[in-house]
Amino acid sequence: MTTADPRPPVPHRVATTVLTLLVPLVITAVGVALALGWSDELPDPVATHWGTDGADGFMSLTGALAVLVATTVGTSVVVWALLLVGGRDASIRRIGTGTTVGLVTMLVVLVVGSLELQRGLADATAAPTIDSLLGLALGGGLVLGVVAALLVPTDPASTTTAVPPADAERLPLGRGERAAWSTTVWSPAAVAVAAPVVVLQLVLAVALQTWVLVAVAIGLGALLASMLVLRVTVDARGLDARSPLGWPRLRVPLDEVVAAHADTVRPLADFGGWGYRVGRDGRTGFVLRSGDAVVVERTGGRTSVVTVDDARTGAALLNALAERSRVR
Amino acid sequence: MLFRVDPGSPEPIFQQLADQVRRAVARGELTAGTRLPAARELSTSLDINLHTVLRAYQELRDEGVIELRRGRGAVVSRTDDLAALHEAIEHVVRTARRLDVPTATTLALLKEALR
Repeated sequence: MTTADPRPPVPHRVATTVLTLLVPLVITAVGVALALGWSDELPDPVATHWGTDGADGFMSLTGALAVLVATTVGTSVVVWALLLVGGRDASIRRIGTGTTVGLVTMLVVLVVGSLELQRGLADATAAPTIDSLLGLALGGGLVLGVVAALLVPTDPASTTTAVPPADAERLPLGRGERAAWSTTVWSPAAVAVAAPVVVLQLVLAVALQTWVLVAVAIGLGALLASMLVLRVTVDARGLDARSPLGWPRLRVPLDEVVAAHADTVRPLADFGGWGYRVGRDGRTGFVLRSGDAVVVERTGGRTSVVTVDDARTGAALLNALAERSRVR
Repeated sequence: MLFRVDPGSPEPIFQQLADQVRRAVARGELTAGTRLPAARELSTSLDINLHTVLRAYQELRDEGVIELRRGRGAVVSRTDDLAALHEAIEHVVRTARRLDVPTATTLALLKEALR
């Protein structure tokens, strides 16, 4: 027995199929074709694993390529299927597609690149280290992943003119009164976990005189700062949550608000961590700490969430403003 | 915190804003270190003039309620524990009601006493 899902269908299924399934398949196919073209020049078996003393794991060429294909195709098919069912929010589709394309690119570059380095060798034990490939694999994965994420189409415009349901709490507003709710929220968990890492990086950088680590620490610190504090605002334009850097940012225009309420959120149990998260039930948004959160049901079957103190006031104001803008 | 202004009220808007911040600090809802929204943001949110918000913030700064720092915006500079004052005010309110004194008269008396 099935019950009809009252939510509208997931948008942009063709784009999701092209970007999350076809693109990774093409990248994999190109890599495999290249490697098969070199089969006469490659040692048998080929090196597939490297330790500190050089190559220490070996496989047949077809075996190595089969593992690669199984991993990349398996990943893309799983993510593609998940997005077709639950990719209602553009940010979910972006994260899923970007991660898949990036990961597949990285793996293909690593495996096919390591084979390229073995061309002309009689014995795979003499295979050179693949350190030189790491930068290319990471960089290529990052670039293609970001490009794919940027190509993901945004949600189709969908607004509502229905007033929020009667059980949605409203903040009483005077006739001509204007109201805005503005507050900040920060993430104790992110600080506790990440601050020691950044400090350790800096200490290591100085101790080892490896100045690349300073850049890594600074980059990590900036990333942290961007996810650490948010200003959350509810006003006549809707709900807005953004980091001091302006990105990442979550915006819910008032005319996409179906109803808002306050809820209690558990980051690890409900969202598997902290930051901009996609929850198990498809709720998407900023989960910086456990406790109070504004949960906004949006048009298109989407649900946005932001953990913030006194969420009840924020949700009630959002309902009141939504109602006022629709009752004319 | 929640900001609300009523342009139809006889009280100037900057006064309404400043009063809300004062009350929130006095009630302990805003504590030292809390950052208020940037004046530009708040003026956009409430669809009021930027200078109205700046005037409210400047007044609060002059009273020592907030600090205005370039680039950092407005930060609440003190935490008030006014439990004793709240108690006294409640006492005044109760007494005024018992004696049937009109609100305007009570306020006039308070203002005079504070002068």
